[in-house]
Amino acid sequence: MAKGGYVGKILYLNLTDGSTKIIPTSDYEKWGGGHGIGSALFFDLVKDKTIDGFNPDNLVTIMTSPFSGTLTPSASGRTEVQGIGVQAYPIPWFTRSNFGGRFSGMLKFAGYDGLAIHGKADKPVWINIINDKVTIEDAKTLWGLDTHETQEEIWATVTGSKDARDWWELSAKRDGGRSTQKSAVLCIGPAGEKKNRNACLLHDAGNAAGQGGFGGVFGSKNLKAISVIGTGSVPVADPAALFATRLELQKRFGYNVDDPTLESPVPGQSLYGIIEGHPGYATLTWGASADQPARPQGCMGCFKNCRNNFASGLANGNQCVEGLYWSASGVLSEQMAATTLLDKMGINVYDVFYAHGWLHGLYKQGIVGPGKQIDSNLPWEKYNTYAFIEAFTKAIAYGTDIGKDLADGVARAAKKWGRWDIDTSSGALNMPQWGFSEHYDPRLEVEWSYGSVFGDRDINEHGVNWHVHWMPLVRGAFKQDPLLSAEALATAIAKATGQNDPKGYDYSAEGVYSDAKIEAVAWHRHYTRFWKQSLGMCDWAWPMLINYNAGEDHEGATPSFEPRLYKAVTGNDLTWEASLELGRKIWNLDKAIWVLQGRHRDQEVFTNYVYDVPTVAPYPLPVFENGAWSFGTNVGRKLDRAKFEDVKTRFYKLEEWDSTNGWPTKAGLGKLGLDNVAAELDKAGKLGVDGK
Amino acid sequence: MTDKEPKQVTRREFVTSVGGVGVGAVLGGLFLRGFLLPDQVLAIPASKGYLLIDTKKCAGCESCMLACSMVHEGASNISLSRIQITQNPFGKFPDDITQSQCRQCPYPACVKACPTGALHADDQNGGVRTVDPAKCIGCERCIEACPFTPSRSLWNFEDGHAQKCDLCASATFMGEKGGPGGMQACVAICPMKAIKFTTEIPVQKDSGYAANLRNEHWGNLGYPTD
Repeated sequence: MAKGGYVGKILYLNLTDGSTKIIPTSDYEKWGGGHGIGSALFFDLVKDKTIDGFNPDNLVTIMTSPFSGTLTPSASGRTEVQGIGVQAYPIPWFTRSNFGGRFSGMLKFAGYDGLAIHGKADKPVWINIINDKVTIEDAKTLWGLDTHETQEEIWATVTGSKDARDWWELSAKRDGGRSTQKSAVLCIGPAGEKKNRNACLLHDAGNAAGQGGFGGVFGSKNLKAISVIGTGSVPVADPAALFATRLELQKRFGYNVDDPTLESPVPGQSLYGIIEGHPGYATLTWGASADQPARPQGCMGCFKNCRNNFASGLANGNQCVEGLYWSASGVLSEQMAATTLLDKMGINVYDVFYAHGWLHGLYKQGIVGPGKQIDSNLPWEKYNTYAFIEAFTKAIAYGTDIGKDLADGVARAAKKWGRWDIDTSSGALNMPQWGFSEHYDPRLEVEWSYGSVFGDRDINEHGVNWHVHWMPLVRGAFKQDPLLSAEALATAIAKATGQNDPKGYDYSAEGVYSDAKIEAVAWHRHYTRFWKQSLGMCDWAWPMLINYNAGEDHEGATPSFEPRLYKAVTGNDLTWEASLELGRKIWNLDKAIWVLQGRHRDQEVFTNYVYDVPTVAPYPLPVFENGAWSFGTNVGRKLDRAKFEDVKTRFYKLEEWDSTNGWPTKAGLGKLGLDNVAAELDKAGKLGVDGK
Repeated sequence: MTDKEPKQVTRREFVTSVGGVGVGAVLGGLFLRGFLLPDQVLAIPASKGYLLIDTKKCAGCESCMLACSMVHEGASNISLSRIQITQNPFGKFPDDITQSQCRQCPYPACVKACPTGALHADDQNGGVRTVDPAKCIGCERCIEACPFTPSRSLWNFEDGHAQKCDLCASATFMGEKGGPGGMQACVAICPMKAIKFTTEIPVQKDSGYAANLRNEHWGNLGYPTD
């Protein structure tokens, strides 16, 4: 049992009958936190895993980690969401998303390690958590409001004002505690209310749980929002150790804002932050200031503070692609307004940000337009004006014009319009797997694409990608040499992961099919399932395989700091190896759920462009070719179908899954203490055969 | 006689008006020891330490609140933090995020208001205005008396006493020596280096200490340095 980190209770709510109960966290503590506990709760509480995401029996878990609400650097602010998704195509898998901000800390301060939401309310409701007082409130006056309006109305209800900044009493008497804070709210906008498959959950200005369509799942439960405020304490096993470790980490690896060791050679360039981690770099291509005064803005407990708040108040808190939603007018204020509109409507940017460009291309071909094959009266001729993106975004949110089809997710819309096969074959619609938009080149960055197709979604885990792709790309963009040679980079990453074979980070035409690569993919699945998704360590800081601010060898905080932080907070010792094994356990549990949902190896394939269309643009990645390491340009590359199938077979064997179908085996699950999972698979006739 | 009678100033009016709000006077450099009031002589030494916060540099990460509560209480709890960061996620910079640190007022209304001397200027720790929990009777007059919003003296509802920023003099869980001669957790932890400790009495303004801790490197990031 941990001596710190957990606060002891998981709040289970049944929206159908309005009942609540407490599940002791101790029953699930062995799963770590976050996604691990969320998946375990799902496995236990949802008997029929084949149900649809919109089914009231779908359990949505919203989980903190032991690190939430503590000083653990860039691990205090994330909240993990689990449940059967509605976005993925053709089968919406049990999936996960997460979001930043201050929700997880607040939930811990209120006394809960997580929430488990079952059932469906018979009319729109919101959940109001004030310490141990939990009420299910009528959301009649909130339904129809956008995500920002919803939060302001809830703050006015809970704290007495939309922007109070004074002490307020949480209960009738002073012993209930006081706070100066607004409640932390997670809500849906019009898109979620309409049960859109690409609707997100939104918290504060721009923290979104985007992928998976959980906004639509909330909508199907008639759940408009969850508000939480607490005044309790999160225990820390060794506060002095946590304090000292945090200071050491900041000093060695952080960006010193007053005297940085590495600084962007061009003022105001966000992109360089991928290398040195300066505050506000999450607005990427804009530059931090976006032509107006601004400040960096960060999630609770972060030491990087990657977002921004602006003088206009638009696009506050936006992060990465969220801010890149639409930029066709070339006017930054309009780009910011588009992002804010998207956030207010509550739409997952990652599903739609390529879509308007793809459709505009079809418009130019005469396929989209009034009376055309894809009938649309949106102002396509004014694509590079704000009026267009406003109309496009609202059409999706409210289900009008082609928004009616796009509300089912871009993949389903493409299928309905007869464009899915042709455009994913040419690459015009770059959705490599499960109907998710391409993130990095699936033909090249294979621990990303393999990890995605073997899983449930686009992985969105940058720990390796920052170094193998972005570092050489950004340095090159600034006409600088890479900070590490390709060989040194591959060696450093392999050392930090514990794999110790640099060939795991060889992205050559041979390297992407090697045993070493498969081991690297497996490491990535296991690390991320535990440290990132169960312990809440943020993707923009962890794993820290390399750090460019630190020393000549650029050694990062991984793997030594994660167990140190874990010990300081929980009081428990956890070896690096044991942590990866826990990640493997959680990954296997997820796999079992997918198998129960109907997963078979034949489905784990990419769309045609990945195999048939060669890369055309230079894409730096370390490659070992002709006996030497270099940063290759990797042009003319595609994935070989047969070789990928062989990779799949070898990956399954490595994970002790039946290689004929990809199903976990009794032997494999037994080693992980998952005999009960094996039994359920067996009962469903889906247990893999040992040794196959 | 045409002059009016001289206006009587009550002790409360004097202290409230001068304590930190509406001063407009530069106090830095002055060595204040005490002053004569209608019915009492006050002799409260100035604090030997103050927290300056650059209100435009703060990123609202609340690491200071997490640190402050942890080093004092041994657990993480922003409701018990002696520095408070409040924000409107939809607000317009620079009014989006507010930082509320104790000013260690030269004329501390909280010390004046305390009937038991629990809230006092601690001469063992450089005159820092702090609460002795053993003497606190929970009347909350210090909280009422603080001229700032939110009040810098706050109610510890877990242990039943007032508490306030003591510049980490009693931060027993920090693992470092605190107080005006030592480390302050918030100063050390702030990843934006937006909090600075100073021994000089800062310029008093209604809105806060005017502090600009941003140098050319901040400007290089694209942020304003004024």
